[in-house]
Amino acid sequence: MIIEAAQFLTILATGLFFLCFTFSIFFDVNDINIIKLISRIYSHSFFLFLSSFLIYVWLAINDNFSVLYIAQHSNTNLPVFYKISSIWSAHEGSMFLWIIFLSLWGAIYNFSANNNEPLKARTIGVISITTVGFLLFLLLTSNPFETILPLPPENGADINPVLQDPLLAIHPPTLYLGYVGFVIAFGQAIAFLIEGNSSINWEKQVRFWSIIAWSFLTLGITLGSWWAYYELGWGGYWFWDPVENVALMPWLAATAFIHSLSASSKSSILRIWTILLSILVFSLSLFGAFIVRSGIIDSVHSFANDPERGLYLLAFIGILVMTSLILFSYRFKILFSNKRIVSLSKESFISINNIFFGALIFSTMLGVMYPLIYEFIYDQKISVGAPFYNAIFAPITLLACLFLLFSIESKWQSKLKITFLNNPLIISFIFSLFITFIAFKFYAVSRAWTLVSLFLGLLIISRYILVIYAYLFHSKFVNIYSVLAHIGLGLLIISIALNNDFSSERALNIKINETETYKNHEITFNNLQLIEGPNYESVKADFIIENKKGNKFSLNPEKRKYFVRGQITTETAIHTSVLKDIYLTIGDQLDDGSWIVNVQFNYFIRWIWFSATLMIISGLFLARSLNRVHS
Amino acid sequence: MKSIRRKRLQTVLLILVTSALGSFLIIRALDSNLDFFYTPSEIYLEEIPENKRIKIGGMVLENSVVREKTKISFIITDYQGSINVEFDGIVPDLFKEGSGVVVLGYLQEKTVIAEEVLAKHDENYMPPSIDIDK
Repeated sequence: MIIEAAQFLTILATGLFFLCFTFSIFFDVNDINIIKLISRIYSHSFFLFLSSFLIYVWLAINDNFSVLYIAQHSNTNLPVFYKISSIWSAHEGSMFLWIIFLSLWGAIYNFSANNNEPLKARTIGVISITTVGFLLFLLLTSNPFETILPLPPENGADINPVLQDPLLAIHPPTLYLGYVGFVIAFGQAIAFLIEGNSSINWEKQVRFWSIIAWSFLTLGITLGSWWAYYELGWGGYWFWDPVENVALMPWLAATAFIHSLSASSKSSILRIWTILLSILVFSLSLFGAFIVRSGIIDSVHSFANDPERGLYLLAFIGILVMTSLILFSYRFKILFSNKRIVSLSKESFISINNIFFGALIFSTMLGVMYPLIYEFIYDQKISVGAPFYNAIFAPITLLACLFLLFSIESKWQSKLKITFLNNPLIISFIFSLFITFIAFKFYAVSRAWTLVSLFLGLLIISRYILVIYAYLFHSKFVNIYSVLAHIGLGLLIISIALNNDFSSERALNIKINETETYKNHEITFNNLQLIEGPNYESVKADFIIENKKGNKFSLNPEKRKYFVRGQITTETAIHTSVLKDIYLTIGDQLDDGSWIVNVQFNYFIRWIWFSATLMIISGLFLARSLNRVHS
Repeated sequence: MKSIRRKRLQTVLLILVTSALGSFLIIRALDSNLDFFYTPSEIYLEEIPENKRIKIGGMVLENSVVREKTKISFIITDYQGSINVEFDGIVPDLFKEGSGVVVLGYLQEKTVIAEEVLAKHDENYMPPSIDIDK
């Protein structure tokens, strides 16, 4: 009964969202009363939809197993926290959450944008129709409100154990907030194209929203990477899995987009870029949803295979992208600025890096789609793995770093003057060369790629530190948050390179009370015990590790068997220090009673996430500072 | 007027040449880094160079798993052909005899030296392109 009410609220909301869209198309959106009307309908519709979701959450908390989806993914033994997160542990519920967030962004925009802000009504119209498209997808192909009546099961089938993790409960919501957050930028871009008034500075209006969405997207990806690292037991931070790639593509596009925005909000000079990129970011976010939810690509993350869902999404995304591009070409003339990009200006370097971002996106897309195309043409299964992506990403990223450095030296709309004397770049250049040389000479960093990455990363960091110096002591105006984010980038490049160069692993065969040595560390298998968890039983090993300085610590990797699904999972044990993680997993027991244990030394891995965190925090603070200027 | 047109033509040509060159480099990188997927019966149909990374998928043959310290060897089969695999390290939790597996590695003298052994998260997973009619 309650679940039918929830479903009815969602259907009602769908209708009202559609009303918003039709009003924004057929009525005069410059009439303040119409704007108010559309804005009001949108708010009401959002609250109906939100109540529907809250009812659903309440049903999940109260173990209402007459709802099919809840019965399939939750269980009475779960803590409340996981009962809630079980909602986004599979397709239907996570789609529900995705749409809630989509309409939530619209609601926040609707609430905070003044009614006389240009493009408001049309932006809400675009957000509404996008929401309607997804709501129909939810109701027609992936209904979370389906019930099992008259005989609901006693208990639910439980959430997959690898998903019973606090981090994984918050990773999808943050990622989704990032993905769909770009709907505001997309909505404004389309509204701008429909309106056709080139004097409206929509770039300035969406900068705040886009940077917030970018921060969430970055956070979502970082959390996913961190979770995979400790939960899956493979020890890496990135696997070039299709699902990771479809999150990376919108991130790359979004990064190019927010850089172009910062240029365009000053003068509308990069407008063609900003419009195209706003469409690209949002389309790639939707494309990600299509890849994950259609099951056309083999991935460890993919939801159940359903061609009908895939077809619907593909058609919907296709219509959205085609309409956008037709509008774009129709309005192409008004997008030209009468100013030209001055060569060697900041804008020109941003444009060049946009092309590099484009190349990265194109390559990633190719890597994701090529297996499908290849199999279709040659009837031969292939896969594209890390070697391809490394071959593309390493050189292009490093080239882009060079242009980033030029852009620090350059100014908006004026030619870069190359003065070799008394230039901070020279100081950073010498400093970075010196440190790289020391790393080469004394710390066994010898691979060319690592040295180049180290050098360029250091160059970026030290150059920006000099910018901070000028900011502090010569009170030169700089965007300090952008500086911090780029220091994060420098650090990220260095950490990835050093992680790749230094990390190592080995499998050991060891019995209780035996000691093995790996890279100056003595690893002693102390004992093994059986323990009983709330919903699993576990074999817990105790290892004592002694490093060459004589410091001892213990690590307790586990193997768990979950009762409800009978699934076995590996729990890693990680010891973190400044430079490296010691990462232990246990495998199988052999007939002679010995165990297979995998030990990994993962260097600089925490620095990778730290760098990403620096970018996220900078993004959020930048958004805050923009908001202050705004209001 | 003429100079503007010429300039535009130059720009367009520059864009075309650069993007063609870029695409060429990307596709070349792609072509030299493809991992071909074989089933055990397909693997003998063609010459596979020793330095070519390949993927083999099938079922782990019953009673074929042999462990020697950290090394494990087993036979992958599609019930028409089979191939021996050697691996040093921990196999995934879902790895077991009679269930599906995908390995990534290099073929050396009729044995696959595996770099990675993958068993799918889903216990109902069946590696692609294998029809089992037992």
